[in-house]
Amino acid sequence: MTDDDVKQFGDIRLERVREHVWEMPREGEMRVPARVLASEQLLEQIRQDKTLEQLRNATHLPGMTKHAICMPDGHQGYGFPVGGVGATDAEEGCISPGSVGYDINCGVRMMKTNLTYEELEGKEEELVDALFANVPSGLGGGGIVQGDVDAVEGVLSRGVDWALEHGHAVEADLAHCEDEGRRPDADPDAVSQKAKDRGKNQLGSLGSGNHFLEVQRVTDVYRDDVAAEFGLEADQIVVLIHCGSRGLGHQVCSDYLRRIEKEHGDLLDSLPDKELAAAPAGSRLAEEYYGAMCAAINFAWVNRQLIMHRTRRVFERVFGRDWEAMEMDLLYDVAHNIAKKEVHDVDGEERELYVHRKGATRAFPAGRPELPSTYRDVGQPVIIPGSMGAGSYVLRGGERSLDLTFGSTAHGAGRTMSRTQAKQEYWGETVRDELRDQQKIYVKAQSGATVAEEAPGVYKDVDEVVRVSDELGIGDKVARTFPVCNIKG
Amino acid sequence: MSFELRDHTADVAVAASAPSLSGLFAAVADGLAAAGCEEIPDAGGERFPVEVRAEGVEALLFDYLDQLVYERDVRAVLPVDNEAEVRDEGTEWALSGSARGVPLGDVDAREVKAVTYSEMRVAETADGWEAYVVFDV
Repeated sequence: MTDDDVKQFGDIRLERVREHVWEMPREGEMRVPARVLASEQLLEQIRQDKTLEQLRNATHLPGMTKHAICMPDGHQGYGFPVGGVGATDAEEGCISPGSVGYDINCGVRMMKTNLTYEELEGKEEELVDALFANVPSGLGGGGIVQGDVDAVEGVLSRGVDWALEHGHAVEADLAHCEDEGRRPDADPDAVSQKAKDRGKNQLGSLGSGNHFLEVQRVTDVYRDDVAAEFGLEADQIVVLIHCGSRGLGHQVCSDYLRRIEKEHGDLLDSLPDKELAAAPAGSRLAEEYYGAMCAAINFAWVNRQLIMHRTRRVFERVFGRDWEAMEMDLLYDVAHNIAKKEVHDVDGEERELYVHRKGATRAFPAGRPELPSTYRDVGQPVIIPGSMGAGSYVLRGGERSLDLTFGSTAHGAGRTMSRTQAKQEYWGETVRDELRDQQKIYVKAQSGATVAEEAPGVYKDVDEVVRVSDELGIGDKVARTFPVCNIKG
Repeated sequence: MSFELRDHTADVAVAASAPSLSGLFAAVADGLAAAGCEEIPDAGGERFPVEVRAEGVEALLFDYLDQLVYERDVRAVLPVDNEAEVRDEGTEWALSGSARGVPLGDVDAREVKAVTYSEMRVAETADGWEAYVVFDV
């Protein structure tokens, strides 16, 4: 090991295992070592905030298996770092709401079309205005569906099945969603009335912050065979939708953090950060949280489904054709904030684990039984959104992901700058005008401040994040897309 | 009493101070409003009551801020001009307060998703009380 293979950041030591793999050796109360998957360039950004400290804290969770892992886009969050993956034993470990995050099943989906960029050129302003007018966003904008008690219960228990029954989906949408858009372990009774109250007026809404709907064009194809399987080709128009479970999911997390504090204070006291709050595996509270989280996952899937189906209608009006004729089909829907019981090989033994992915994407390679039949022989699509001035990527689950990351990769570019600093450095209207005039990207937002907070300059280089994912073999580059129209809350 | 917004890579933090614990809670709540809205109107909106009970001071602050986020979503208002009275009742802590609910349609506001326990601190100082709270946005 040379000097270049060791990094000392304060009291945190990282040792290079191989290219892009850094290990934080186990010491003190750490139950396992931690790993950071990053190039030198990304590591230099990751070390700037409390990401590494939070990653070390995560190794304290009971039942943590092999490593707590930071993805290439990792940055400071609360409790667990964003871009964190941690697998805990499902029998003797724990499940940690704080390691899933508040926005349960925040995620992205990509819808394909058969439109080309040439067909869209000249209609950008009309399209962005129509999308903004028809897709609820921001605070208090309501939802596509005005949910009553029965609707919320149906969504929580049945997921996208509910949307299908109510005319907001077609059969093929279910077949192209993780778990076919329905978590079988969902327990609506484990979701509080407060959470349901918050969710019922937000069903089918983007929210604000970094959530958005973006019309994009495919600019590059890197693996022709996989892209063909996914139905992607250069110059094609696609739609990317990024949002989560809204207030319902946020409330589920808050509720269970507080219940853990009251019912499992001894476990909480053993953890270095209260926000890592965890319920022991097998406890009543762990089961209830899992049921509530799965119900919130269903809510988020329906939320994105409603927005996607509404988008089809908007395209119909703007382009004067049926959405079926424009082949507006779902490519895939992936979750970013989630914990799921999955079986993984750990040192030659098959073990059931709670795989926590907080700001990380499942990236299963070909062959995993969880994948829909469409993708079982090729690997699942993984969608990595970049900033509104940079490209996004479609990857496919890499062969090495199961060995290195419990079948996971990055979830985006990852922030490098705080929101308060972003508002000092950027002016929303200027960012919007420059994107339009210099890059032909049309942005419409509820607030100029949101545009400033989400300016392209506040994010890491998504190209570098994806390069590392690809070179590690955890998520293989398939295609790159570039924004055309973007709406946000 | 006063608050300021502090940098956080992904989210936003509020640091607040006040001569009394009651003033501190109200200051953090005003910080929550400021985290989602730069220009809060001086008037408009009806006041509504907020009542919270919890087992400790930090838990009370968490539940109070969580309740304000809940009220924002179900009433469709931004809670501003917060007033709070915090009491130690022996076996638990209680807060009675109120906020002016500015209709969300009247302001340019963004969503603060939730209050977190991450790095939360409530401490008594020589001059009164101070707190630090990270919000998920």
